[in-house]
Amino acid sequence: MQRILIVEDSATMRAMLCATLEELGSEVKISEAASGFEALRMLPRESYDLIVTDINMPDINGLELVSFVKRSELYRRVPLIIVSTEGSERDRDRGLALGADAYMVKPFDPSAMRDVAAGLLASAPTSGDATAEEA
Amino acid sequence: MAARRAKRSLSKAQREFVCEAEETLERLRADLLTLAEQREGEREADPDLVNQLFRAAHSLKGLAGMVGFDAMSELAHHLEDALDGLRMGRIDLDSPAIPLIDEAVALAAGLLAHFGHQNEAQQRSDARDVADMLARIETGLDGPAKGPSEDAVDSLDLDPAMLRALTEYEEHRLRENIRKGRHVSLVETAFEISNFEEGLGELSAAIREVGEVVSTLPSPGDSPASQICFALLAATRIDASALAERLEFPDTSVRVLAEGRTTAARDAQASVPESGAALSGIGAGTEAARTKQRAATRASDDGEAPETPEFESLRSLSDTVRVDIRKLDELMVLVGELATQRASLSRTAARLLADAATSAAGRDLAKIDKLLGRKLQQLQAGVLDVRMVPLRQVFERLSRVVRRLQRDHGKQVRLDFRGADTELDKLIVEELVDPLVHLVRNAFDHAIETPEQRLAAHKPAEGAIHICASQRGNHVVIEVSDDGRGMDAEAIRVRARAAGLAGEADEISDKEALALVLEAGLSTCSEVSETSGRGVGMDVVRSNLTALGGLVDLASEPGRGTTVTLTLPVTLAIVQALLVAVGEECFAIPLNAVIETLLVEESQIHRSEGHEILDLRGEALPLRRLASEFGICAGEQAAYVVVLGLGDARMGLLVDRLEGQQDAVIKPIQGPIQQVRGIAGATELGDRGAVLVIDVASLVEDGVRRRDAA
Repeated sequence: MQRILIVEDSATMRAMLCATLEELGSEVKISEAASGFEALRMLPRESYDLIVTDINMPDINGLELVSFVKRSELYRRVPLIIVSTEGSERDRDRGLALGADAYMVKPFDPSAMRDVAAGLLASAPTSGDATAEEA
Repeated sequence: MAARRAKRSLSKAQREFVCEAEETLERLRADLLTLAEQREGEREADPDLVNQLFRAAHSLKGLAGMVGFDAMSELAHHLEDALDGLRMGRIDLDSPAIPLIDEAVALAAGLLAHFGHQNEAQQRSDARDVADMLARIETGLDGPAKGPSEDAVDSLDLDPAMLRALTEYEEHRLRENIRKGRHVSLVETAFEISNFEEGLGELSAAIREVGEVVSTLPSPGDSPASQICFALLAATRIDASALAERLEFPDTSVRVLAEGRTTAARDAQASVPESGAALSGIGAGTEAARTKQRAATRASDDGEAPETPEFESLRSLSDTVRVDIRKLDELMVLVGELATQRASLSRTAARLLADAATSAAGRDLAKIDKLLGRKLQQLQAGVLDVRMVPLRQVFERLSRVVRRLQRDHGKQVRLDFRGADTELDKLIVEELVDPLVHLVRNAFDHAIETPEQRLAAHKPAEGAIHICASQRGNHVVIEVSDDGRGMDAEAIRVRARAAGLAGEADEISDKEALALVLEAGLSTCSEVSETSGRGVGMDVVRSNLTALGGLVDLASEPGRGTTVTLTLPVTLAIVQALLVAVGEECFAIPLNAVIETLLVEESQIHRSEGHEILDLRGEALPLRRLASEFGICAGEQAAYVVVLGLGDARMGLLVDRLEGQQDAVIKPIQGPIQQVRGIAGATELGDRGAVLVIDVASLVEDGVRRRDAA
């Protein structure tokens, strides 16, 4: 089982990201956070294999979240995709400089999104497997 | 209404888009009114407000792009440009682009109303309107742009990690604040990760009283799994030491990054107009209306078509309201408290009735009480009804799961549903998703054989999973059955012995063997499969259901299939409770689990294999004494038996007295008593104080286990 955390404040966009990534197969479990704060609260609860985040969000923005994840001993190895509406190139460069593994522009092409996500999931260290999979 | 009818023809994603786009436009409109007030009051635009406007336009653009609504996306893009100009200080409130923002939002509302069902003529006219608006915004933005001020940000003694995480906008705000001579400081604080939001919210609010929070950067704490640190970049009118005095929060430090120019004394004055904002807002409605009127006149003066969608744009296209479930919880608690108050009213009425001197008043009060009770019941039913959602959405998710499994594993399985309209409390439905997904995966993976095996067993090659939901009284029963290979009790026995759950000599009946699958999560599958062998087992399904006050039952026939039956209460929020007493203690039992109550003599109670039983119309009913469950001294006289039932399981609970029925809102208990098996929570019963609520599911379960063990 691989776990993906989607961080996005728009419910519609979240549903679209979910539907897109669910197509990756039955071995993917998706969790959703509606804000950066919610994501911060959810991170310690499960071990995620991929984070997909928006930039423009009300409490903390996506860059701040990326910075947090990439500086954390616990989460830095989790691959991270920024999905943002085409806007500031500076923000994109900063996101990548902070350690984001990919940057996708909204509106995204679902199959391209799946390809990027699948590539990152395949390269991810399956950190969660050992702890969460015993049943 | 044509628009509403036509909307039904949209896809689900499109409907969701319309719903969210409407909310976004509504927010834009409200924020634009506030902005207009700030402009009228000749005040500076509040940066947080402008950023909020920008974000709304930005997300509208993204949403419209995802559903391929290009005209809307283009329009939102220009709106975003104008608002970005404003927030980044490239234009100010006097820019000719600003009045166009209102018009663009009205146009967007018009476009949205036509979305998905416009004819060609309409499409052309919309496209013209959009093109026209885009050109006007572009012209409006085309002024001498203010150049960015020289870079003062680099001179700040700021952690590079923080500097790198600033968005372009945040960096601009930082620069603006330095330019204005504000004091820039770094406020650092730490919280427990489980509840940082409240503290952080208070801290941010305290800073906003004297300035602005430019950025909030989380960083891992010393014990990163439980702690989280935040660095807040604050730009304030008061200096760092004055700020430190104001912020009386634990574990919080303030560090100077840049000294401002203004003094604290002058700032106290400077902040007056801002704190007066609420007052001047009183006349805002009319003022804003005047602004709008002026804008409209201006538009018609220019010889343009008057904004016909002005009225339309105010009308909502969707008739749904989204409500945070916590608000409904609060309402529920209020209704419960009201019911509690009513119970004391009933008792007062009864007391007055009993006394000849006051019986007339008592009768009147009793009548009022009865009417009040009826209305209260309707109110309660109404609040409950709002929380109810059909199981359909869960079923749709299950279909998707099965479709994906089929594709990945090449097994043919048909999934049918019955009772998709059965409604359950939203919270219960959420909690049900994981167990149901697991059950379906289990059936798909373990139970249903390969097509070859099925044909060899004279079954159709295609397997079937049936899910049937129905309401029975206050419970909903969901059955998940498959026509697969069934569970082999012998295999379970072997595994149970191997796992040390039973001794080699212990007899294990078939029913007990199935119970072991539920209790210990024993698997009948020899190898961990990719589909459901990992993750949660049946024991987790069972504990999920128990947490909801529900029950899981398992029936299986080798070669024929397996049926898992989930029994759930319709809602968790409020229950009718039967009050019972043992000795001096009072307990509440959810009435939906009570089948009947009987008066019994001690002589009717028999002992069989070490357990007490009651002969109930020829059936042996296992008994438990509430007194001994919780170590209370019981009375010695004749007692009552409360017959409890959940699913097919029955059990009798021996109590001293029955004390009537009452509505109860069950509240969870914190602390050590939370762990006590048999207690589901507590409820507040007016003059009786707090009363513990019996967890019927765990008592019945224990009772059944004992009987089976006997």
